[in-house]
Amino acid sequence: MYSRIIIKNANIFDGIKTKPFKGDLYIKDGMVEDIDENIDIGDSKAIRRIDASGMMVMPGMVDMHVHLRDPGFEEKETIESGAASALAGGITTMLCMPNTRPVLDEPALLQYVIERGRNTGVRIYPAAAMTRGLEGREMTSMGLLAEAGAAGFSDDGMAVADARLMFEIMRYSRQWKKPLILHEEEYGFSRSGLVHEGRYSDSLGLEGISRLSDDLMIGRDIMLARESGARIHITHLSTKGSVQMIKRAKDEGVDISCDVTAHHLFFDDSCLKSFNTSFKVKPPIRSAEDRQALIEGVIDGTIDAVISDHAPHLDTEKNTTFSLAQFGTIGLETLFAASYTSLCRGKGLQPGKLVSLLTSGPAKLLGFDAGTLEKGKRADAVMVDTGGSYKVRKEDIVSKSRNSAFIGQELQGRIIYTISNGKIMYESG
Amino acid sequence: MTMLSKKSLLNIADLSPEEVMQVMETADSFAHISRREIKKVPTLMGKTVVNLFFEPSTRTRTSFEVAAKRLSADMINFTASSSSLAKGESIMDTVRTILAMQVDLLVVRHSHSGAVKMVDDMIDIPVINAGDGKHQHPTQALLDLFTIKGRFGRLKGLKIAIAGDFLNSRVARSDIMLFEQMGMEVRLVAPSMLLPEDYSCYRVENSLEDVIEDTDILYMLRMQFERQDRKLYPSVEEYRRFLSLDSSRIRRMKKGAAVMHPGPVNRGIEITDEVMGDMKSPYDNVIIEDQVTSGVAVRMALLYHILG
Repeated sequence: MYSRIIIKNANIFDGIKTKPFKGDLYIKDGMVEDIDENIDIGDSKAIRRIDASGMMVMPGMVDMHVHLRDPGFEEKETIESGAASALAGGITTMLCMPNTRPVLDEPALLQYVIERGRNTGVRIYPAAAMTRGLEGREMTSMGLLAEAGAAGFSDDGMAVADARLMFEIMRYSRQWKKPLILHEEEYGFSRSGLVHEGRYSDSLGLEGISRLSDDLMIGRDIMLARESGARIHITHLSTKGSVQMIKRAKDEGVDISCDVTAHHLFFDDSCLKSFNTSFKVKPPIRSAEDRQALIEGVIDGTIDAVISDHAPHLDTEKNTTFSLAQFGTIGLETLFAASYTSLCRGKGLQPGKLVSLLTSGPAKLLGFDAGTLEKGKRADAVMVDTGGSYKVRKEDIVSKSRNSAFIGQELQGRIIYTISNGKIMYESG
Repeated sequence: MTMLSKKSLLNIADLSPEEVMQVMETADSFAHISRREIKKVPTLMGKTVVNLFFEPSTRTRTSFEVAAKRLSADMINFTASSSSLAKGESIMDTVRTILAMQVDLLVVRHSHSGAVKMVDDMIDIPVINAGDGKHQHPTQALLDLFTIKGRFGRLKGLKIAIAGDFLNSRVARSDIMLFEQMGMEVRLVAPSMLLPEDYSCYRVENSLEDVIEDTDILYMLRMQFERQDRKLYPSVEEYRRFLSLDSSRIRRMKKGAAVMHPGPVNRGIEITDEVMGDMKSPYDNVIIEDQVTSGVAVRMALLYHILG
């Protein structure tokens, strides 16, 4: 293993500035030693040399929404297999969600995830549950959980239906200075729903989930956040209305941020025609108009981060009818390429802007010292080939589960190298 | 003999208007066979057709069985309850088992939308969708069209009002598509909670009163109070008042107008006892039995075009 790496002739995105710097990146002993034009370090055999002509080099990505399924569902994913999948996707820092079995609602369980996450090459931070067992009835010991390493609080997968309880959680969360990451769903509207309620759910005879499911709860939580002064983060936006509401709330000074998944940016509900259950996700992939509003929300800065919402499921849980299939798609390995293809190739977003939404943007929201390439900082870096395109194939998937909505898609932005803590942890085959 | 352009019939949209007319013509000639004393021709001798029903059904299953037997195909019934085959793997395992017996065509019904397509995607032999969830029931639409054509001698410009629960109806999804494609004027009669969200492209009325005097055909959908995911419609009494066909309403229909229903009729809900009659309706507008008769002819035609 090389302790020194030099990457030559790269378009270097530092995670903050939109414009790239054309030059070399020198990594030594796990740190960024130098970023400059034409760095000369002699020709020692002990240095790994990478020619990055025509390539993008950017900070290791920060994915703030991942399901690792460990503990409890190790047949779908483990902390180790999830980390390997992340590295294949250029992700070197991630926040994992607490809907495991048992739910991450006790300090010892956070400790388990933190311990197991060490030495995987990925910095893994757990989010702790807001309510015990994600049942939406009693608040967890948020203070003890924060001390044990909770990077945020979330009942992801579930919404807290009880508004008063949500309000109390918001008020108390201020004391611990950790964001609340909110999965928004109004059960009266989402109950028994499978896909976006609209033209395609109608013609396919699949039960729909109205936009109102998201919008009502987001509206409620904006009101509660305004009243409580809590720091809230709405995860996986899917509707046009939610983008508009959050934009307005930000203008009014509510302490709110939000993210969107790569699959909600990439697909609209016309994909359902195939009855392919890989597209059964929550919140549902919505109409072309909603997708367009999400893209605009990214471009105008309303949306603060792009996430994978990596949700592994077994083939047997997906190769069934729409009604029986589990919700979710994996996404770590396609996070960059899917968002680059839909935003930079499709809609002309500057690559540097996307880079910050995948790196320093989420890092800042979570208070992580990550997501930038700077002299003297930990060397987490990714080299990406944005020139050609590649086809996503089931057999190339690194994750333990293969339920990817992107299988068969042509994407641009293949990950070539992932460097974590100064070491090459992934190299494309 | 013209084969259909697709190997299977999953969705009514799989058929072009020309193919629909071809099926109608063939069904016409098969209808004659069913009126003979010896109701059997050797057309599909040596072919094996399997009725694979994951959802209980008597009428559709029997109709396919009669159709296949009149064409001399061997017909096997395989009925499995959806609950004992809850997992997708088991659907696939069942299909694999049946395929290993070297059969020629599957007629599949399942209570989940998309399940029949899932079966079709897995296998090379043709599949006929006998109803999948709330999605499609293409053979019902074809037999409805055949019945209408038989009664009116034409299709273009006919006014049809379809009434009832569109949200949960696979029959409606297939019928609307086919009737519009064949140039009929389709109106829907339903209250808001029984309509899918995005039906703004159709002419929608809220009560039978709005269409009763002006329609050539009144097509009543089956109202399944017990099958609704949510309790949508307030009460049977309310349904009767605004949406059921009683004798005073049927008497106000145009001369020669027809009443249809995919069956089985919930007496006293969609159509009153009085209108239905005992063995036969006292009103010759009611052509529900003609639909059943048409079903055999149309299914014979489809088996012939797919397997012949």
